[in-house]
Amino acid sequence: MVKNYDAVVIGAGNGGLVASARLAKEGKKTLLIERHNLPGGFATSFVRGRFEFEASLHELCGIGSITGKSPLQKIFQEVGAADKIEWIALDEAYRLITLDKNEKCDYSMPLGKDAFIAKLEEYDPGSAPVVTKIFDLIESIEKTLDFVSNIEDFKPSMIKEIFSEHTEFLKVANYSVDEVLKAFGTSQKTRDILNGYWCYLGQPTDELNAIHYFTMLHSYLIDGAVIPKGRSHQISTALLEAFTENGGEAWFNTSVKKIIIKNGSATGVILDDGTQINAKAVICNASPYNAYTKLIDENAVPDKLKKEVNAKTLGAKGFAVFLGLNRSAEELGLDNHTYFIYPTNDNRKCYELSKKIETNDVQATVCLNKAFDDCSPEGTSILYMTSIFAGDEWSKVSVKDYYKTKLAFAEKMINNFEKATGISIRDYIEEIEISTPMTYARYTDAPAGTIYGYEASKEDGIVKRIVFDMIDKGIPGLYFAGGYTTRHMGYSPSYTTGDMAAKAAILAMEKEAK
Amino acid sequence: MSKKKFSVNGNLKDSLNTVKFLTERKHFINSAAAALPTRTDDFGVNRVAKSIHPKEQKLVISRIEEHSDIAKSYFFKSETALAYFKAGQYLTFRFEIGNAVVTRSYSIASSPASALNGEYQITVKRINDGFVSDYILHNWTVGNEVTAYAPEGNMTYCPLRDAENIVAVAGGSGITPFLSLARAIDQGDEDCTLTLLYGCRTSDEILFKSELDSLSANNSKINVVYVLSHSDEEGYEKGFVGADIIKKYAPEGNYSIFVCGPGGLYKYLESELPKLQKEKKYIRFEVFSSGKKSDEEPTEYSITVINRGVESVIKASSSETVLCAFERAGIEVPARCHTGECGFCRSKLVSGKVYIPEGEDRRRIADMQFNFIHPCCCYPESDLVVRIN
Repeated sequence: MVKNYDAVVIGAGNGGLVASARLAKEGKKTLLIERHNLPGGFATSFVRGRFEFEASLHELCGIGSITGKSPLQKIFQEVGAADKIEWIALDEAYRLITLDKNEKCDYSMPLGKDAFIAKLEEYDPGSAPVVTKIFDLIESIEKTLDFVSNIEDFKPSMIKEIFSEHTEFLKVANYSVDEVLKAFGTSQKTRDILNGYWCYLGQPTDELNAIHYFTMLHSYLIDGAVIPKGRSHQISTALLEAFTENGGEAWFNTSVKKIIIKNGSATGVILDDGTQINAKAVICNASPYNAYTKLIDENAVPDKLKKEVNAKTLGAKGFAVFLGLNRSAEELGLDNHTYFIYPTNDNRKCYELSKKIETNDVQATVCLNKAFDDCSPEGTSILYMTSIFAGDEWSKVSVKDYYKTKLAFAEKMINNFEKATGISIRDYIEEIEISTPMTYARYTDAPAGTIYGYEASKEDGIVKRIVFDMIDKGIPGLYFAGGYTTRHMGYSPSYTTGDMAAKAAILAMEKEAK
Repeated sequence: MSKKKFSVNGNLKDSLNTVKFLTERKHFINSAAAALPTRTDDFGVNRVAKSIHPKEQKLVISRIEEHSDIAKSYFFKSETALAYFKAGQYLTFRFEIGNAVVTRSYSIASSPASALNGEYQITVKRINDGFVSDYILHNWTVGNEVTAYAPEGNMTYCPLRDAENIVAVAGGSGITPFLSLARAIDQGDEDCTLTLLYGCRTSDEILFKSELDSLSANNSKINVVYVLSHSDEEGYEKGFVGADIIKKYAPEGNYSIFVCGPGGLYKYLESELPKLQKEKKYIRFEVFSSGKKSDEEPTEYSITVINRGVESVIKASSSETVLCAFERAGIEVPARCHTGECGFCRSKLVSGKVYIPEGEDRRRIADMQFNFIHPCCCYPESDLVVRIN
């Protein structure tokens, strides 16, 4: 069977969903293919007993609950999904605790620029003036990014404008977070607190690109963060609904076997049952690993693309423990929404320790009831703990040792949480589920169970990707969306690149039509 | 702060540093190999994931054991390891019977360790009007190849959640997950104690008696008690497994109760277990579907099924689940648990009304919002339009 569409989208992850919704909204006849029975990829939820667990989202940035700066909400509105999602604004950034008793580190930080600076001043008296300057820099960088991303019609005069008006951006573009923060003369304590979010990008701040991190600080701390009431599954399903309402077709439990390449261009896909789908654009939400080794014939993959994949390093591998507790957050003393618990404030050391299962003690833990108490039945609470692994240690775990290994690491995370917070949770676990890199590999086909795409290393930081890596990877008609593209992994970046991929495809279709 | 004055290492060095990334990037990409990257399936993590959660498994029946005329055990043997699992999980099998395409799930009776040696065992009980069980009992013979999916299910022991003493209440063929657990304990793969309270009508109906007796006698962590409801025999408890029997045999200290058996057992325990005043977390039932919704005269409806953009119209009855209507019509959906728990058969109810028995609606919040259903526990109350794929 042969069917014709304007666009075919491979994978209903965050990138694929937004790309599909955008294409359908713009009147393109679009087919979305997903091998699972659910949309969302990582953005999903699951039910155990009387609890519904969020599978991956801690807080969503890009829906600015404080400043109203909401690039994501704009996308969701434009594609018709916004009114289907109920957002809950968070007021807390994080509580940061280290297990190293010598550090005596336990800081609770709020969202909101002024509140954050004031709280930091309490912990580190005298820090306010320099932190204010850092926030000025962060806002100046944001202005540059806004300027660049709003360019619709490029004029040479804009280059002049960038060099005269956006000098801060140009100065720090190739520096690490640490290099820039140290240049401000910050104290170690101020840096420790400001660097709390490092685990969300998975890279130590001595190499993590400053602009990358500062952009994230802007969207969380200054703009504000939210979560969807119906878990991330609500966002995924809302995008799917918007897509089908606008005439899109989504086929679940369906796999793509091949991307058809004719004369160097992508012209469609072949499905598991042999159906041929012809399309002017193929949007790939699968990883380049899958695209180049499974979906595209080897000789059709340009060397440049193979080199690009091989040059990059796979990012953090995920691990999570989901707990349904039979006591309320109040009864247990769970006062915070987000807990960052690290072995030490030295995030380079944390990163190195996270290469081994025995030595990894990094965790980011969320108590969903602190966002909205009715997320679980009365008298209960939901806590989920996430860890990240650098390296590929889990590939050494055999099938036989798998259950023991995952149980032991989950137990360590629970123990670390209890030790760090002084809160007992072990006796109140009514439901537990544990996900490992194998779980992420199972559900998303992520190579090695990666949850962060490529590492945001010094060589492959976000600025370099934005400048050098194209959405159109060099095979005309093929566009990548999601976590392995220019904006690094994460909800907000994947939605954004999904939109970019769709827009690029639409632009190409319009050019072709002329 | 005067913005113009800010610099990291001085204006000139900063500019040079920024310009540097052009060459850095070129070198970074160009120094990499122009070979294909590692195939996703070749990462150890992905290999293990595929091994534990294969898309499907072709199983060859190697041996059949008859348990008088009550039940038969089917043994599967493979040259390579079968998907590993946790004691208490089930396998879902796929059948083509006439025009129907159906799936049914059976708890795995063998131990997890034997799966690594390429072996599974399931036990199928003879029941009245058992559409699929009759098919198996009459048609499955040694050498047949059958299709099963990956092990699933949540009635497994977790030391982070459960007490280290498990009191298992089994009814009839509900014994199989606990036989697997007993074997796993005996082989050192699970570290809990097991007090197995096994309810049957008469001693003739006890399955695996000699093996259970031997496990009970030889392993101090395992204790098996038989409870007969329909006969008074020496050496057996008489009656139904309820609060009194549990109290009598439960070990000292804290314990978790696991239950697997027919609907009658669940109904009885619902009134009995509250007497033990245990927290909910210490009581776990293998999920169970209550089946037909009522004795009302069934009403015929039609379901328009949308599958990959193609519509077809099938018959349905108010007394059977939507999934059942699909199965009869030979429409395949990826159903596993048949109890609303696993969510594999999740489909979009485009229009129409369905009835979901109380306590069986295990959908996500957003699925309720957007009218997605689990067809395995929904009964039509009008003509329906359902998008399965």
